[in-house]
Amino acid sequence: MKWITARRRHPLAGYVVVILALTLFGVGYAYLAPGADRAEAQTLAAEATADDEQTDYALGRDIFTQSCASCHGDAGTGSQNAPDITDAGAAAIDFQVSTGRMPSMNPDAQMPRKPPAFTQDEIDALITYYEAEIGSGPAIPEEVPGTAPERADFEDEEAYEAAHAEYEASYEAYLDGAEDVEAGMKLYLTNCAHCHSWSGEGGALTDGKWAPELHEASPRQLYEAMVTGPGQMPVFNDMTITPEEKQDLIAYVKDLQAEPNAGGIFDLNRIGQVAEGFIGWTVGLSLIVACAIWITAKQRAHD
Amino acid sequence: MTDTNPNNDNEGIDGSGRVIGTPSSAGGDRLVAAPADPHEEHEGAYPAAETHGRPEEMQRRGERLASLWFVVAFVAGVLFFVAYFWWNSAEIADPRIGQYSNMALGGSLALALFAIGAGMTVWTRQVMPHYEVGSPYDELPSSPEEKGSFGDFFMRSADESGFTKRPLLRRTLLLAMAPLGLAPIVLLRDMGPLPGDVLHSTTWRRGMRMVVEGSHREGPSTWIRAEDLENQPGAMISALPYVEPTEEHPHGLSLNDQAKAVILLIKMPDGAFKPTMTEEQLGWTYNGIIAYSKICTHVGCPAALYEQGTHRILCPCHQSTFDAADGAKVVFGPAHRPLPQLPISVDAEGYLVADGDFSSAVGPTFWDAERGA
Amino acid sequence: MSRSTQAPKALRGAGNWIDDRFHLAKTGEKNLRKVFPNHWSFMLGEIALYSFIILLLTGVFLTLWFKPSMAEIVYDGSYERLNGVTMSEAYASTLYIDFDVRGGFLVRQIHHWAALIFVSSLVVHMLRVFFTGAFRKPREINWLIGVAIFTLAMLEGLFGYSLPDDLPSGMGVRILQGVMLSLPVIGTYVSMFLFGGEFPGHDIIPRLYMIHILLIPGILLALIAAHFMILWHQKHTQYPGTGRSNKKVVGTPMFPGFAVKAGGFFFFVFAVTVGLSAFVQINPVHLFGPFTPTSITSGLQPDWYMGFMEGSLRLFPNWFDINIAGYAIPTGVLVPGLVIPGLLFGGLAAWPFLEAWITKDKRHHNMADRPRNAPVRTGLGAAGITIYGLLWVAGANDIISETFSISLYALSWFFRFAVIIGPFIAFMVTKRICLGLQRRDRETLEHGYESGTIQQLPSGEFIEVHKESSTDTVHVLQSKEPVERIVVDADGVDDNGVESPEKRSLSGGLRSRLAHWFTKDNISFEGVRPHSGHHLHHGGHSEETAAEQPAATH
Repeated sequence: MKWITARRRHPLAGYVVVILALTLFGVGYAYLAPGADRAEAQTLAAEATADDEQTDYALGRDIFTQSCASCHGDAGTGSQNAPDITDAGAAAIDFQVSTGRMPSMNPDAQMPRKPPAFTQDEIDALITYYEAEIGSGPAIPEEVPGTAPERADFEDEEAYEAAHAEYEASYEAYLDGAEDVEAGMKLYLTNCAHCHSWSGEGGALTDGKWAPELHEASPRQLYEAMVTGPGQMPVFNDMTITPEEKQDLIAYVKDLQAEPNAGGIFDLNRIGQVAEGFIGWTVGLSLIVACAIWITAKQRAHD
Repeated sequence: MTDTNPNNDNEGIDGSGRVIGTPSSAGGDRLVAAPADPHEEHEGAYPAAETHGRPEEMQRRGERLASLWFVVAFVAGVLFFVAYFWWNSAEIADPRIGQYSNMALGGSLALALFAIGAGMTVWTRQVMPHYEVGSPYDELPSSPEEKGSFGDFFMRSADESGFTKRPLLRRTLLLAMAPLGLAPIVLLRDMGPLPGDVLHSTTWRRGMRMVVEGSHREGPSTWIRAEDLENQPGAMISALPYVEPTEEHPHGLSLNDQAKAVILLIKMPDGAFKPTMTEEQLGWTYNGIIAYSKICTHVGCPAALYEQGTHRILCPCHQSTFDAADGAKVVFGPAHRPLPQLPISVDAEGYLVADGDFSSAVGPTFWDAERGA
Repeated sequence: MSRSTQAPKALRGAGNWIDDRFHLAKTGEKNLRKVFPNHWSFMLGEIALYSFIILLLTGVFLTLWFKPSMAEIVYDGSYERLNGVTMSEAYASTLYIDFDVRGGFLVRQIHHWAALIFVSSLVVHMLRVFFTGAFRKPREINWLIGVAIFTLAMLEGLFGYSLPDDLPSGMGVRILQGVMLSLPVIGTYVSMFLFGGEFPGHDIIPRLYMIHILLIPGILLALIAAHFMILWHQKHTQYPGTGRSNKKVVGTPMFPGFAVKAGGFFFFVFAVTVGLSAFVQINPVHLFGPFTPTSITSGLQPDWYMGFMEGSLRLFPNWFDINIAGYAIPTGVLVPGLVIPGLLFGGLAAWPFLEAWITKDKRHHNMADRPRNAPVRTGLGAAGITIYGLLWVAGANDIISETFSISLYALSWFFRFAVIIGPFIAFMVTKRICLGLQRRDRETLEHGYESGTIQQLPSGEFIEVHKESSTDTVHVLQSKEPVERIVVDADGVDDNGVESPEKRSLSGGLRSRLAHWFTKDNISFEGVRPHSGHHLHHGGHSEETAAEQPAATH
């Protein structure tokens, strides 16, 4: 104590304390937070590029051996750090790869959504190989609109715009095709919102894992997630929630997310009361106090 | 337009340097401050030594600035009306328009209010003299004479009234008050029924089929079959008992009944149940399908967050965690009891049915919740 | 520049009319001359007052359309996304206010933002009063009224949050009911009576509505009026400064200066609230969806002022739950739901009397303490803030867990320890800081302030020139009241070796021990003469170190 007492009034003491506190905080955080998968999956996929000469099967095989087999095994039976994928199915592969979660560099951490490492054609080729050699499971819901086309995949602007317009139309048609708002809402609120939140913003799970937000997910990815149950998510197959009900559910959450905020442009990420309280204190109260300071600020007695 | 009033007031004091409405008695006795310095030329209500006047130049600048704020407030106030009538009430139902309506109305109103506040602040800070007036605190305790006089008066009067001297009078009056005092409490009796055993039972009866909560299916597909779940390890669905729809409840169950009867149906992978589960608990499952009450035993939120990998059921409200593989025992958090389990089996047509009511009382733990129903 | 002491005719007429009936001229002038000390922290309570007025105004507007009914209807209104959804009339009428009444959305948001600001301004106002000792004699009653206002404001907010019958609002009611059920013996009765049967029933919203728009606002209004009248009668406390004393308050008179300042401030408070409501969406009930007892959303939170209760409900473990002869006492709900808020509000209410009992201080106090000059009180306040703040943050542990990918359980454990250890650290650190500031004050008082000018003496020595502090600063520094240090040693014998009769009783012994704790670290300003004239500072601190001795022995 003497040592501290002698130095605590040193001019630099304040800075030292602040730096120590920050370090402590940082180290504590690094220790508590599981390492996020920050590595770029692209590096894994760099060598596997589409070659016109190759058949889908051959391309798929190349991708599988280069990007999947090292963890999931040559026969897809899994290993210590990767699950058996023989009964995962095309839907699971499409979901995992098209959301960029697979291939992953860090099998221990939860995989966040990333830009996909492969194009849709490459994913299709991978699935062709998977279905021929590895296993089977839930199929891709082809009738549900998937990811919007990327400009980079098209030679010219016109073809891209046509494809984009077609995608938009199918997206709109799918959402508009939902008939039962109430069923969609209730199914979402009773089976999804407890993890993904009323806004699709996501939420906390145990062990530092989280339920991801659903903003970027395409209707097809949502559908695939429901039928395959990625990560900790339970499975909602087509018998417990029928395809029509899934359409209602997806339409509910996508319409909700697309809706502008009637209460003003700042929606606080639709986090809710925590963010509102924070703003109330930081912005609301401090602006008012600033006004109070203006009103009562000392003025020179004689001007 | 109320917005313009301060503006007019402000114009009213133009050049005079005096605030309107000074009490007519201003020249009269001063309760507060010491007499003003007779040598100082001063026209205000307070001694010049304490209220430091602003130079005329500053006052003029202040007046212009404050008036500018008031004009801004007026314009913003007019804009508020424009914003109000710009959209009709049918249009604002569309959030895309409602958003602009809200921001235009609120923005103009906020600006008007702020400008009035700013104008008034400039007014006090640049036009009015700077006041630092002294005023004595009142001496709070009364003098001993006053206190004595009061006490004397009070006791004499009380004695005179007989209240202190005549106990019969006093006691019977208190007696008379007692029932009247209790009356309001008794009158509240009909606010609700007595609890009885109602919290111990739910809608579930043996043989009752189940429906996916929120689903509006018709025909036989309404009911959940064992095969819907049994081949799908990791499957989960929120379900309710099937009850014939009535006029009053088109979806079958009242909210009160839903609040107690709702279950989570979970299909566990083979061999996932822990050996600590009793034979009885395992007997209540069907082919790996297990049904738990969805209502948390802590304070009643739906504990619905099922992690298929860890088999944990987490309540998103207060993080009570139950182990679905171990009879929903509490593994973390504040909940007191495991989630009640619903015994299930399958009927002749392959539909999942309840085998009776829950294993224990559903919902937040209450006084006699652990007493067998 | 003409001088006129004659009021305009119309005003005089009205004034005479009133005075003929009430004899108000003298009282009126006295009150118009009432002095308000000039400091921003004295405006904090006004924020609460103005927010309350905004709440009343907007609340009345909302009642014009809101239907407090739990009857189930199928929505067929102008907000298209929810057409065909079954919901209560309360929720449907909220949608009506939002989407059919022009400005309705804005007013509902103003009402909600004003509620958040109302309670937060109550808290900062209360903290200001606490840390400056403004609750001391003669203002204890007003402190109690303030505590009551704070408690009622929280309940009022909770009930208001519950009215629209959207998903989070219904869950708030559910949690309330869960806490009620945990009451031993009477829990189920209380719940059945309040809800008119089982949860959710059909009665709770009409009943909460009555409480929210009539009962609590009525009581609040009465309490606020009483608070204000007492304040008016006793006058404000004031910070130390030139010409200010326990006998005389210095500030801006009510009329005209303060009236315009306060009026302007009302408009500022209103403007900030409306500005937030215009651009920052709050409580979007139309997006949440209607309440059903079987649905839940992640990230479910109450409004901030209930956050500390939410946090204590999350943190308090079930280890102490007991079961007596088959009857359950779920302390995991009872303690955080009722005991912790009870301790918080009970402690707040009791503090002025506790402090007066400990310090045996029976004097009137009109001068605000500088927080540093009451280190133990300030430390305790910091400890209280720490507990409250940690519980409050813990109420958002799921949001923190998700945002920073920290394990929920690890966070809960962290908070469980932090809530216990944190206040002790906060107390010690705050007290140290206070004492340090006191020492610096004494130094400044004695030696003037460090001017930053370095002079070289003819001898070649460098010294820093200290300059005289302004009179105002000297007044502020000298405001520290002398503290009589109460020393108790193990035998309960005072400095002079005399056993005081007080220590023979249990409470007396406790009191003197507490009094010792309260005063032992006092830094004496006695005999310190204000620095005057230029004084060459030679860096010697011998006097100070000597004076510090008693403090250092502990």
